[in-house]
Amino acid sequence: MAAATRLRDVVFRYPGGDFELRIPELRVDRGEQVAVIGPSGSGKTTLLHLVAGIALPEAGVVETADVDLSRSGDAARRSFRARRLGLVFQEFELLEYLSVLDNILLPYRMNPVLRLDAAARERAQVLAAGVGLRDKLARTPARLSHGERQRAALCRALVTEPELLLADEPTGNLDPANKERALDALFAYCERAGATLLTVTHDYELLPRFGRVIDFKTLGEGSA
Amino acid sequence: MSGPAFLAWRYLLHHRIKTAILVISIALIVFLPIGLRVLVDQSARELTARADLTPLVVGARGSALELVLASLYFEPEPPEPISQREFERVRRTGLVEAVPLHLGFETRGRPIVGTTLDYFALRGLRVATGRAMAVLGECVVGARAAREFGVAPGDTLVSSPQTVFQLAGVYPLKMKVVGVLAPNHSADDGAVFVDVKTAWVIGGLGHGHRDLAEPGADADVAAREGSRITAKASVVEYNEITPENLASFHFHGDVGDLPLSAVLAFPPDERARALLLGRYQAPDEAVQVVRSTAVMDELLETVLTVESYAVAAIGVVGAATLATAALVFLLSIRLRRREIETLHKIGASRPRVAAVLLSEVVAVAVLGVGLAGLLTLGVSRFGEAAIRRFLLS
Amino acid sequence: MRWLPVALLALAVACSPAPEPEASAPDPDDAGPLVVYVVNEPLRAMAERIGGDAVEVHFPAPADVDPSQWSPSADTVARYQNADLVLRSGAGYDAWIDRATLRERALVDTSAGYADRLIHVEDPTHRHGPRGEHSHGATAFTTWLDPTLAALQARAVAEALSTARPDASAEFELRAAGLEAELEALDRRLSAMAERIADEPILYSHPLYDYLGRRYGLDGRSLHWEPDAIPPGPQWRALEALLREHPARLILWEADPLPETTRRLTELGIESVVFAPCSNRCAADWLAAMQANAARLEAARSPGRPIR
Repeated sequence: MAAATRLRDVVFRYPGGDFELRIPELRVDRGEQVAVIGPSGSGKTTLLHLVAGIALPEAGVVETADVDLSRSGDAARRSFRARRLGLVFQEFELLEYLSVLDNILLPYRMNPVLRLDAAARERAQVLAAGVGLRDKLARTPARLSHGERQRAALCRALVTEPELLLADEPTGNLDPANKERALDALFAYCERAGATLLTVTHDYELLPRFGRVIDFKTLGEGSA
Repeated sequence: MSGPAFLAWRYLLHHRIKTAILVISIALIVFLPIGLRVLVDQSARELTARADLTPLVVGARGSALELVLASLYFEPEPPEPISQREFERVRRTGLVEAVPLHLGFETRGRPIVGTTLDYFALRGLRVATGRAMAVLGECVVGARAAREFGVAPGDTLVSSPQTVFQLAGVYPLKMKVVGVLAPNHSADDGAVFVDVKTAWVIGGLGHGHRDLAEPGADADVAAREGSRITAKASVVEYNEITPENLASFHFHGDVGDLPLSAVLAFPPDERARALLLGRYQAPDEAVQVVRSTAVMDELLETVLTVESYAVAAIGVVGAATLATAALVFLLSIRLRRREIETLHKIGASRPRVAAVLLSEVVAVAVLGVGLAGLLTLGVSRFGEAAIRRFLLS
Repeated sequence: MRWLPVALLALAVACSPAPEPEASAPDPDDAGPLVVYVVNEPLRAMAERIGGDAVEVHFPAPADVDPSQWSPSADTVARYQNADLVLRSGAGYDAWIDRATLRERALVDTSAGYADRLIHVEDPTHRHGPRGEHSHGATAFTTWLDPTLAALQARAVAEALSTARPDASAEFELRAAGLEAELEALDRRLSAMAERIADEPILYSHPLYDYLGRRYGLDGRSLHWEPDAIPPGPQWRALEALLREHPARLILWEADPLPETTRRLTELGIESVVFAPCSNRCAADWLAAMQANAARLEAARSPGRPIR
């Protein structure tokens, strides 16, 4: 099976900081749903950034969707992220001054490689309806509940039909019902699209739903 | 709309108060010097136009500016008087059309201007309702004054009592309104026009009373010496001129000694103007002849100097405002760090993110300049009317 | 919000003031007769005689009013205001003009040329207070009874018409010259007649004949007798007293006296002769009326006719 992402002998340090992350070997196959757990500060988010090409390793190789991101320039990595990845952030990171619909369609507005056409708008509407946000598309995030904001962020990650979803604590601070709903949406998409899911989570109750769990304690030598 | 422009527009709309403040600040910085220039230009045109229409003013020696301003705009403080004889002198030259002006009296806060019918013809004033004054005691009211007073032909106006020309007092005269002028968009709209002789009656230099020679007038007679009659001080003088008592009105003394505020002279050409000016060059000449446009040009030079100082001050304030706006913008970028990071993370290129921020600046600038343009348009359209209404009439 | 700039622009355009219609200035070169207003009959006759078809002369005073006492209504004054020329007789004759508003440019004082030859008279005048403002003495104003002054007045009329209508000045000049010639002839006629009464004391019914008297050296005294009224007793007694020092045998009347007055005067040895100033409408043309005056005077004192 082809790898969705593969890291080899990766060494990463934040500039000016004492934190160092070493990943000798990590592979996620296409179509897998993988959870990454570990203590705070162990580098889980950094892993996602490396996989997405947001951060560059000092050494080693990061290949995602057959693209060697560790050797790619900034523009290439951004373009790659826009076309092929979907990102869900820990704090959702919705733009307060855009409506729910415009937040969902944000990738299309900010990436000329993606075309904002009727099909994209249709996808946004369907996604929003699927998570119960059909009647709230005109609202701004300030007028949404915590759970609704999280669902809007999910829709933004899925609207470009990514082949790899990277989610950083997608269920943080949600009540149990919303947690389940969020995961249902992610898993449903992955199953439908054959996409790969790599999720960082602190929520051990959710682990049984994932096909594989990567424990940073055993994997990593992320140390502060 | 492109992505960055769309985001910029949404951002500005979402923070509409901040956006409005920035837009208005920029609009004011841009508009104020331009608007000031437009207003000064329009004022200058108005002042110059009125001066152009009044080539020469003859008056007592003294401040030429006060003489011209009083004669053109009927300032409440009239210049030192000259005599009716000076008007006759100007007329006798045959070089110019001459019009006498008597100023200094008021009715309900509006100036009473004593003059002749020729003033209307030379100023292009038209009687819209009623007719021009025909006999002593009649007045014609400018359009704005008539509207303010709510008067029409047939109504009356009473002159305000005051002291001018160092006389003991000025008698309120009840004047009959016989006409209302069409709007002229000048100081004439706010004035009440009477014959010069009526102005003299208001000033107590002419009056009417019963015929002291008639037998029944003994109560008003202090002494009779042959054909000379001395009237008592208590003789009742009419304070309203009616058809019945009009014939009794008379002036004592030599009419040539009676006072005028100025004589307006309208030469037909440059040669006549130069000739008339030349006749008043003697060092012991009691009166002066001034060129209205020259006086106005001097005044406008002063105005322009003040304007340049004002523009400089506005420039300094404007620079400070722009610096403040730049600071606000830089601070907002710092506050939006997370948003910018998010955009980077979802794949937006650095130039594209910069375009969002730049679009906000450009939009605010365009709106500000656009608003300044609208304000300038408004001043261009309505400035002249406002100047005439509030400044000149 | 996109509509805002457009709406503001539309508002600005909609609120723009409508352009004022331009006031039309009167055309000074109107091709039509010169409209001339006058203040008495002699000026009317002069203006018509000199102006001919080029002028339209108006004298709106009622026929039964003494023009020197006339006070026209405001509406009549408005008609004078619209005239191209207003000819004043001057010398205080047309005092109403001093209380009226006329266009200075149109006013012409036809007595300006002989202002130094006006006669000032003692008239009841008044002042306010012992050292107060007072009137100057009045001026005799029937200047046209001196044909030489009438000729100067005609000259002034011609000049005024020529200034107003330069293209017709040659015609005006020609007609004025003709009128002046007739006035000179009248002057010669009256001079010849005056030689016959040079030393004779005469009376005038009113102080109207100052200029006639001065021109021809007449020894005249003025009464204040109305032709259409019989003087009361005191005036007869005053006359008799006057006759003791001024034994007049001739009285000049401005109009036909009553027969009773004439009879009583005749009893006193005074002959009545009408010498009409013709200041308002006369029975005939003004100049003809002056000639008729001369004829009547000549008839009263023709050589060989006894003085009654």
